[in-house]
Amino acid sequence: MSAQDLAFYYLSFAMILSGLFTVFSRNPVHAVLSLLVLIVHQAFMLYLLGSEFLSAIQIIVYAGAVVVLFLFVVYLINLQKEARFRVFVRRFSLGLIFFILFGFLFVKYFVLIFSMSTGLRTLLPIDPTSSQALKMMARYLFTEYLFQFELIGVILLVVVFGTVFLLRKVKEERVG
Amino acid sequence: MVDLNSYIYLSLILFLIGLFGFIFRRNIIILLACVEIMLNALIILFASISYFRKDATGYILVFFIIAMAAAEAAVGLTLAEALYKKLKKVYTEEINLFRG
Repeated sequence: MSAQDLAFYYLSFAMILSGLFTVFSRNPVHAVLSLLVLIVHQAFMLYLLGSEFLSAIQIIVYAGAVVVLFLFVVYLINLQKEARFRVFVRRFSLGLIFFILFGFLFVKYFVLIFSMSTGLRTLLPIDPTSSQALKMMARYLFTEYLFQFELIGVILLVVVFGTVFLLRKVKEERVG
Repeated sequence: MVDLNSYIYLSLILFLIGLFGFIFRRNIIILLACVEIMLNALIILFASISYFRKDATGYILVFFIIAMAAAEAAVGLTLAEALYKKLKKVYTEEINLFRG
């Protein structure tokens, strides 16, 4: 067993564990911090998968922006006295039907990916120590996917306007 | 031995954990965190397929997924905050605006 395999087993174990903590923890702050642990481990896994650039982006965008945003909202909505109530929804059987339905659907699609991936396993992977992946990615991003790249900028601009618009002060509206 | 199937199994397990939380949790902020878990599972899927196929398309998709996840988290949390300002509630069962 190589060091890369050991790293994969450790990272997957930690990611599954912190994902379960996120779903099952009662305190929202603990849940968001478990999500942070998951994201940092996933950044290491992206490094293992040969892309240092995406690993850095994952740390900067997810751990730096998204999780901090979650923590801000959790602190803004103060739930200290409500944290002792129950965690899950009341209508458990209805949710179970939807979970089995969607879960079956997604397992089916993942099995489809398994069956397509059997021929790919014999290929040699990219050497993670070289910067080959980053070069390929830059070449794709600024030639073939240039329009989509610009579109992401437009979407982020719309998100900025929408956020300001949704949280503006409204004087006339009464609390329903 | 770690191959592509191990990564797909990990992605599937993480996706199902996120789906479970998204369906069964009450707190709307944790619901958005579960959406992030599902997006992270898809990131692992795309990156591992791209790594084993020696093709950069999956990495491009991961780049776009991360950008869209940031936008989605901003809009979703803003909606949760606006809902809390209007109704003082964050639990999905108690939000029944349409019932009057």
